Amino acid sequence: MTREKFQSFWNRFGTLCVLIFLFIGFTIGSPKYFPKPSNLIQCILQSAVYILLAFGEFFTILIAGIDLSVGSVACFAGIIVAELSLKGVSPVICIIVGLIGAALCGFINGVLIHALDLHPFVVTLGTNTIFRGICLVITGGNPVFNLPKWVKSLSSYIAVIPKPVIYVIIVGLLLMFFTTQTVAGRNLYALGGNKQSAWYSGINIKNYTIFAHTLSGILAGLAGIVMLARVGAAEPTAGDGYETYAIAACIIGGASLFGGKGRIWGVVLGGIIIGTINNGLNIMNVSSFWQKIVMGALIIASVALERLVSNKTKK
Amino acid sequence: MEYLEMRNITMKFPGVVALDNVSFNLKLGEVHVLLGENGAGKSTLVKILSGINKPTQGEIIINGKSFSSLTPRSSIENKIAVIYQELSVVDNLSIAENLFLGKLPKKKKMGVTVVDKNYMYKEAEKYLKEIGLKRDPATLVQDLPISEKQMVEIAKALCAEAKIIIMDEPTSSLSIDETNNLFKIIEHLKRNDIGIIYISHKLPEIKQIGDRVTVLKDGKYVKTLNMSDLEVKDLVPLMIGREIKSKYLGEKRTVPDDEQPIFEVRNLTRKDGTCRNISFEVYKGEILGFAGLIGAGRTECMEGIFGAKPISSGEIYYKGKKLEIKNTYDAMKQGIAMVTENRRETGFFYNFPIWKEIAVSTSLKSSKMGGFTGLVHNKSERKAAGEYTKKLNVKCTGIDQMTYNLSGGNQQKVIISKWLAVNSNVFIFDEPTKGIDVGAKSEIYSIMREMADEGKAIIMVSSEMPELLSTCDRIIVFRDGEISGILNNDEATEEKIMMLAVNID
Repeated sequence: MTREKFQSFWNRFGTLCVLIFLFIGFTIGSPKYFPKPSNLIQCILQSAVYILLAFGEFFTILIAGIDLSVGSVACFAGIIVAELSLKGVSPVICIIVGLIGAALCGFINGVLIHALDLHPFVVTLGTNTIFRGICLVITGGNPVFNLPKWVKSLSSYIAVIPKPVIYVIIVGLLLMFFTTQTVAGRNLYALGGNKQSAWYSGINIKNYTIFAHTLSGILAGLAGIVMLARVGAAEPTAGDGYETYAIAACIIGGASLFGGKGRIWGVVLGGIIIGTINNGLNIMNVSSFWQKIVMGALIIASVALERLVSNKTKK
Repeated sequence: MEYLEMRNITMKFPGVVALDNVSFNLKLGEVHVLLGENGAGKSTLVKILSGINKPTQGEIIINGKSFSSLTPRSSIENKIAVIYQELSVVDNLSIAENLFLGKLPKKKKMGVTVVDKNYMYKEAEKYLKEIGLKRDPATLVQDLPISEKQMVEIAKALCAEAKIIIMDEPTSSLSIDETNNLFKIIEHLKRNDIGIIYISHKLPEIKQIGDRVTVLKDGKYVKTLNMSDLEVKDLVPLMIGREIKSKYLGEKRTVPDDEQPIFEVRNLTRKDGTCRNISFEVYKGEILGFAGLIGAGRTECMEGIFGAKPISSGEIYYKGKKLEIKNTYDAMKQGIAMVTENRRETGFFYNFPIWKEIAVSTSLKSSKMGGFTGLVHNKSERKAAGEYTKKLNVKCTGIDQMTYNLSGGNQQKVIISKWLAVNSNVFIFDEPTKGIDVGAKSEIYSIMREMADEGKAIIMVSSEMPELLSTCDRIIVFRDGEISGILNNDEATEEKIMMLAVNID
């Protein structure tokens, strides 16, 4: 296989290869438990939150930015839904208000990044702490529990398939359509490929920057509601540090921190890889401390691999 | 006796001869001016002296020692200091630290080597006094105005005991008072037996400060003259000196008095003041050229028209209808296209193949709400891309090839295709042939001519005068952010353009 052919093969199927490799590895490591269908479904269920967070993160990375606030935005949305549900507000309104709150967080990120012309890293590093602080203020630092039954039912099973997995499939398909078939989706790729060229092609970079961050907020909110449903209570520290998983899922899934590169499909695989590592190592009785080390190594390895395989002409 | 002598210097870059057998010399205690238009080879000569470029051929003799080339280090060791237009002082260090950068005085304190600040400040004060800068040497350079930063650079050169100081457009960002002050310092340096190589486009000040002048043109040595034998107006023909007038390729046409312009700009001023009060018209079938020195405000003006940078006032009309342009989206939507000077930075996308590159603005224009509604139509977009790449003769392996893999000329054609596909009516070409080979250049000219014949308004900004003279029907000349004159092609010569472009009053 020539170098170029390998490149295009790896670009398309690299992430999938990593996942298959992991699957084989864990199956050998734990032949009794890991490959059982019930565990595999569990594995994907565990990935659902990561994938939803990573979907949002993906758009900020796509435009050569980043969003470090997804974890606390998710938590914020969960707390809104939990608090409202306790007041007897109808489920649909609860969820809509929760998502609007999360969207607002993302919108604020986008506006600050554009208006102050600061690097998204700095802005979202700050807002991450602010949003987390708001969560703590609202809840007084205590978990919100004794929620109505419908909250928990958001993550129940339809036949053998958990609802969160269905959410991921629906949202994933919508986003796939958005990124590949709409003008706005293509403009985001253009913006990531070269911000100034985008501006000189007539793309309003301000609106698109705000848009990408708002989208990130909404999707983080969705992830937060799923988190809430799975736990059954809103913890003010929920999702702490999850931005690492979201970023990792994007990078492992083939997105580039330089922007303009990556696919929704890759993000899904990246999220599943992270869920699988968690699940597989748990089953093999590896402590969660070690899991962190493995995860970090994997992030670096996947970026290094991408650099090795991809053209060095870019930037 | 010459302190510095450069003999028969030739400098070849791939495809270009930047300097062709150029000789130059400098005596101590004189100001020797290097004169020439954009791209004449002045900067290359400076880069050879500062050790950045190694000449292909030739000899450099400094104080009797012969070199075939210099390195940045040997340049400093041989007492050469360069003060670039973009000053190279370190903003977050103090004046004294800048002066002693790389050679901080040291002393032992309790067995540890530390910087001897007292000595450093005392020494620095001496140099500052010499050039008349009344500042505490501990002041951070970032707190100084640009004119004083420049003085720090000069003090730094003195601190390095430089015998040759090269000044590249030192007055470009100075006021009249600051310029006079600089000249006082230069006189002082001359008295202290320092030789100065002085580069500037401002002819009156060259006449005022210079002792000798060496003229370069297209990388060749023209002549060296004593400034006392010259008048300011003698300098312009020396810089141009091309014998043959570039051949005009368009059809001779005169604008009828009653003809309405298709595109019009009235009193455009940019918020940052880089261009002021610009008014001009483009008539049907003509290519309107914009000449001027680099930094005269031509690109800045075009960015203002295109909505890429904010303007404080100005009106823009297309066929008598006023256009409202607040950003590039408005400009694109209303039929204005801009092919930018710097393809890598503002031209193409690193992640797009040719066909997407061409489709970006088309899909944006056909959708609503800034592109937030609307679907892409890959099939028709690919078809259009195929047609345009064929029409403009883009050499590529296919429309799926990445744009960044193409040669400069073909990248340029792809960008032009993008704007043709949007059906733009007004085309702004900013240095459209920069970094493009000769063959592709003439193709671009004929594309522009064809578009003008089809009734599109064509604007061409260029720093290459032969190109302007051979392509444009009328030429507008910029000087210091304002229009200094308009020339019809039949009356335009390089000399007349240059007269308008440089400040001779």
